[in-house]
Amino acid sequence: MTHDDARVYVLAGAKERGVAAEVLAEVGREITARSHQRKLEHLTQAVRGGLGVRVVVDGRVGYAYSEELTPQALDWMLREAIDNAGLQSETGGFIPPGQHVGRRDLVGESLRGSLEAKVQMAIGFESTIREDPRVKQVLYASYAEREWEVTIASTEGADGSYRRGVAGMMASMVMQDGTSRKQSFDDDWATAVAALEPGRTALEFTERTGRLLGARPLRTGRYRAYLAPKAAAAILAAFAPMWNGKNVAERKSPLAGRLGEPIASSLVTLVDDPLLPEGLASRPVDAEGTPARRTVLVEGGVLRSYLTNSESARTLGMENTGHAWRTYRGILWVAPSNLFIRPGPGAPLSEGVVIAEVMGVHAGTNAVTGEFSLQALGLWVEDGKIAYPVENFAVAGNILTLLKEITALGPALEWEYGGRIAYGSPMIEVRELSFAGA
Amino acid sequence: MLPESLVADVIAHALRGGASFAELYVERWKRRALRVLNGEVKEATSGLEYGAGVRLFYGTEVAYAYANDLTPAALLEVTDNLVRVKGASGRVDSRGRGGLDFRKAAARGLHTPRVPFDEHPKRYRLDRLRDADAGARLAPEIAQVESTLQEWEQDVLIANSEGTWAEDRRVRTRLYVNAIARDNGTVQTGTAWEGLSVGLELFDRFPPRDVGKRAGEQALTNLRARPAPAGTMPVVIGNAFGGVIFHEAVGHLLETTSVAKKASVLSDMIGRQVGSPVVTYVDDGTTPHGWGSSEFDDEGAPTQRTVLIERGVLQSYMVDRWGSLLTGYAPTGSGRRQDYAFAPTSRMRNTFITTGDTPIERLFAQVDAGLYAKAFRGGQVKPGSGEYNFGVQEAYLIRKGQIAEPVRGAMLVGKGPETLQRVVAVSSDLSTGSGMCGSLSGAIPAEVGQPHVLVSEIVVGGESE
Repeated sequence: MTHDDARVYVLAGAKERGVAAEVLAEVGREITARSHQRKLEHLTQAVRGGLGVRVVVDGRVGYAYSEELTPQALDWMLREAIDNAGLQSETGGFIPPGQHVGRRDLVGESLRGSLEAKVQMAIGFESTIREDPRVKQVLYASYAEREWEVTIASTEGADGSYRRGVAGMMASMVMQDGTSRKQSFDDDWATAVAALEPGRTALEFTERTGRLLGARPLRTGRYRAYLAPKAAAAILAAFAPMWNGKNVAERKSPLAGRLGEPIASSLVTLVDDPLLPEGLASRPVDAEGTPARRTVLVEGGVLRSYLTNSESARTLGMENTGHAWRTYRGILWVAPSNLFIRPGPGAPLSEGVVIAEVMGVHAGTNAVTGEFSLQALGLWVEDGKIAYPVENFAVAGNILTLLKEITALGPALEWEYGGRIAYGSPMIEVRELSFAGA
Repeated sequence: MLPESLVADVIAHALRGGASFAELYVERWKRRALRVLNGEVKEATSGLEYGAGVRLFYGTEVAYAYANDLTPAALLEVTDNLVRVKGASGRVDSRGRGGLDFRKAAARGLHTPRVPFDEHPKRYRLDRLRDADAGARLAPEIAQVESTLQEWEQDVLIANSEGTWAEDRRVRTRLYVNAIARDNGTVQTGTAWEGLSVGLELFDRFPPRDVGKRAGEQALTNLRARPAPAGTMPVVIGNAFGGVIFHEAVGHLLETTSVAKKASVLSDMIGRQVGSPVVTYVDDGTTPHGWGSSEFDDEGAPTQRTVLIERGVLQSYMVDRWGSLLTGYAPTGSGRRQDYAFAPTSRMRNTFITTGDTPIERLFAQVDAGLYAKAFRGGQVKPGSGEYNFGVQEAYLIRKGQIAEPVRGAMLVGKGPETLQRVVAVSSDLSTGSGMCGSLSGAIPAEVGQPHVLVSEIVVGGESE
């Protein structure tokens, strides 16, 4: 069966059984070309897709999905979803009334190009990386593209689809100067192949890691901190679940019950914009088919909104911001699209530590308590200038304290992209953070 | 899962196109997940994943494709597309003309679950998660309890142009409990989990109520904990999931994924003293019912027990097929992948520090002022610089050899080879824990383990005064 046939088959089956159902179908495409010693080393090209169903039976919600599109597998899927719904005792679930939103293609011709040309981009990228004499090994240097066609349809009238995709350059290299070694894991994404600049990106990557060579230990203490944009974006990604309406409704967010309160320095404005032109995670609708719109979460330091979908909005008595999130294999969740801290006039260096990179973000942050303790690599700043790199230290605190202590924001936004969500931040200056080192 | 003739056709097709090696990986994977918050089901889901990966070698160059349309026409087309990428460089290989004689290897049932995947009604599972919930509610301060059950039944077939034909069923079950404690505006969390290559007999090995209790106790401990100290100090690292430290600090550095490119600080070090003589480090894919066990790896090779480091001396790397081709080391049955969407790379299975002989009291007795890291979160490493970290979820100060008051979790950071040299003593209470490990070939189940271990100095990322 095709995905279209399967979708129709499942919705018809649900109607037959008198069950409200929402189907999310997805077909993803991948190309990854990895260069080694200026030759193609590893090429992946692939297609993967499937169908996920969410059913509501007497207000009880159940899920199931299948990548096998035979009538037997789809029947099994629907039976399982209904059976799963029977486990719930709460009866507040519903499939929101939907609308016909048509098909939107956000990719168009932007990922077109011959495979050979894309392979050459990877090879050129690696060549430029290797031009830097400090580069001793390249673990990988790749061109990658990902594309998804997502279709949402429900027994309650939702019907729409969109296609989106990204292309990027990824590299990991080991750089050495004397006995000092550093390894990078970097990626850089755009919504079109033509927007990629492998040569420039290669130089950015080598510069970003090269400046950390020759690092000295950092003495334990409290210092002014400058979070480099990518490091700040990685921390934002880890704490974004605090704004997730589902977590707020389940009382798993330290921001629960604080709408209208100042939670950050008055310099901070946090926005999620799924309609951002060239946004890596832009989308016309959310996973329930709700049309996307821009949502201001924090304005001038004041908590203005959470991100919600139909269910969490109803629980919280708020407006639905259109942030339902789901893949065909997953459950209905809430997530941002292009979430970013609005840049400021600038954050000139005076003294302290530039946190160039944070590591261990998944293990070192707790979005329920707001606490973090992260491995970091950085640059020591003296008299308004970078003096030398520093290493082997951790930076710790609570995100809510950090947000209040922000004293300046840089002018340029940079993005971290992963899990189909984009997080953006400028350079962030923080009055003081705790550093553990030598 | 696929007819032998079709598998042979796909492989022959690739060889005719000039591939020096061809492999087909087919997977059919049933999953169930159940999340319960405060005794109420939040989400119950079931899934069926089905697809195949075709991997071709042209010397050391690799082409990989995956798809979930497994009809003969689609599989041949996928293979054709890969072959075409190689274009004129492909030479006709006589092996592609004849038939392939597969040597069929059946799993011996080393990890076969006692309770099959489809046994017990779903409500039985819900009741067990409610047991976990009840176990965590030790005091009025426990405000919320979230318990999650994951069940997998993964069937794989791996066949290749060398005649390998391996079929394996991996059944895995994992219980995870997260408790949230509140007191006067302070919020802290406690977590506990257990996972094995078993069915629902996991609940007999680890009664859900006990797992819940551990999460609840930890949340209450953290509620009265002060911030952890900041700075470099001696650390006693707890057993079981404490093994995550060496998984990060050493294990990843021994995978040919990095070693073959010399992108590991432990490349070219076989036979060298890389660690303290009290350290013996083993990666064993054969542990019965281990969370990271399987009878065959994801390249169809039988798994094995691999001694990586013996008394501080490096004995072996973890080697997959491609890594073997690049380095010349024999494969160790370590080729693993998240699912058919990933080409395999060398990965850890069940990796642990073996039992030492220092009584546990003697570990603490050697520490005048330091940290006891008792429970853990995950970690991360850069093999090329050796810089690693791992998160501590429950910790105590050590004062004059005694465990003192609790302090909140903090990240511990260091450089792998240095930490390995700084292991002062290893206790005898070896135990293991289950984790998900992420790398180039995706997220895979990996078990870690160790007895209590004393390290003379690590940076503790707490809060400085």
